[in-house]
Amino acid sequence: MVRRPALLTRALARRPVPPAALTTLPERFTSRLHDERVAAWLGIALGACFLVAFCTGLVSHLMQNPANWMTWPSRPVNLYRVTQGLHVMTGLAAVPLLLAKLWTVYPRLLQWPPARSAGHAIERLLVFVLVGGSLFQLVTGVMNIDYWYAFRFFFTTAHYWTAYIIIGALLIHIANEWAKTRRTVMTRPQDGLRRRTFLLTVGGASGVVVLTAVGEAVSPLARLAVLAPRRPGIGSQGLPVNKSAAGSGVTALARDPGWRLTVTGRVQRELTLSLAQLQAMPMRTARLPIACVEGWSAEATWEGVRLRDLLRMAGVQDDARVRVESLEPYGRYRTSEVRPPHWHDPLTLLALRVNGEPLDLDHGYPCRLIAPNRPGVMQTKWVGRLVVQ
Amino acid sequence: MKARRLMHAGAYAGGLALIGYGLSGIVADVPVGRWAAWFVGAAVLHDGVLVPAVLVAGLVTGWIPVAYRRVVRGALVVAACVTAVAIPLVLGYGRRPDVPSQLPLPYGRNLAIVVGAIAAVAVVALVVQLLTGRRRPMSGGAHRAAPPAKKDR
Repeated sequence: MVRRPALLTRALARRPVPPAALTTLPERFTSRLHDERVAAWLGIALGACFLVAFCTGLVSHLMQNPANWMTWPSRPVNLYRVTQGLHVMTGLAAVPLLLAKLWTVYPRLLQWPPARSAGHAIERLLVFVLVGGSLFQLVTGVMNIDYWYAFRFFFTTAHYWTAYIIIGALLIHIANEWAKTRRTVMTRPQDGLRRRTFLLTVGGASGVVVLTAVGEAVSPLARLAVLAPRRPGIGSQGLPVNKSAAGSGVTALARDPGWRLTVTGRVQRELTLSLAQLQAMPMRTARLPIACVEGWSAEATWEGVRLRDLLRMAGVQDDARVRVESLEPYGRYRTSEVRPPHWHDPLTLLALRVNGEPLDLDHGYPCRLIAPNRPGVMQTKWVGRLVVQ
Repeated sequence: MKARRLMHAGAYAGGLALIGYGLSGIVADVPVGRWAAWFVGAAVLHDGVLVPAVLVAGLVTGWIPVAYRRVVRGALVVAACVTAVAIPLVLGYGRRPDVPSQLPLPYGRNLAIVVGAIAAVAVVALVVQLLTGRRRPMSGGAHRAAPPAKKDR
């Protein structure tokens, strides 16, 4: 037996008993909707949303940052439009689901003791990672599609890396809750609690959020998009603009009559073409969407020169990669790379006209890249130079 | 049993690896302090401000007669969610004078219309309920848990 000094023994005996108000807190939540079955169904719906958002997010990331061995097909034309529209819409739909889920399990936040064992403490820490990460992704994601950059970090990288954190925490959460979820979802309760009403209400909230925004991606529903940051049809030449010429500092360079398009790099003959010379080349028409990373998309009729015609004129190898450079003096997206599947595609144009008019300055006058199945930030505007690699 | 333990361990290994990978990327590419402020701040504000506000709303609407409570609370939940998502649009900090097609709509008015429509649907539902006087078994009251049993301590 270990002898303890009398002082310590007395201190242990008088170990403060937490007030009942603290230890019985979870019991004070009287709504029975804070129950396992509700949490399980909301968790399943949220898990599905997060999985879709994670996969479509990876598609967007890899399209913009492909590994060297990776080639993205240029078809189907609308693939990126669909994946990115899904990404943003599932994210929006997840907002009511997440809020409802966290409300349902809120009494468990206040459980006493906060941790029963080291293992339980780790489990709760990982739940915090999942909750914090989910709220982080949805809050900053919604702010980002609304162009409100109150956070002082670059959204895209933070969003990308945080996604791995929550998918990891989610995997562990699913492993921990799997048995419980299975049991509660598979057993039909006979307790008369109206869970369905509550779940349908939450689903309805997601539905209204999506319904008032989805028109920014699905043009026939454009008039319903009363709470979307964009509306197809609004913008110069009926097309929304993400970056203006003035904001990019290219106005003077783009308007300069001395503008020339140069094709250089690993070519048999360098080309230097004026706007008139470009206009004299065979004109092609393509109906293609601008599909933005922020989820909105809008279709337009583009007219211009096929990129492959121009590259063949300069004499390039079939497996060449092309860097399209904008007149923009700075900016993360001033250049984009076009890999063979895209420049071989007959729909890929250096567009000079949109919807029957010469390109507006804000749409990339004198000439811009437009290609199928490609994020909007990679449809480089105000093109000045093509560098073949 | 053994297979389940193995799956569990596998999920922990995979999950922790993904968390580690994400954190390494955050450390390498993102200002960690600012990122952490938003990560923790979102959770703290949610748990400490938003949910308590919802609980208060729940208490207040608890005064509404049982038969109508569900419709009122449902409408409030939907309207609050739509408003939460629309706040950045209504505030309009993302507007840029050189890009008029960015946030082009009158979002305050539009939000009022959407919330008004939700309220209208709720009113219609309440009126229908009032007129038909339909009473489903176990309406309302069944949602209350039995008071916690007094424990001997």
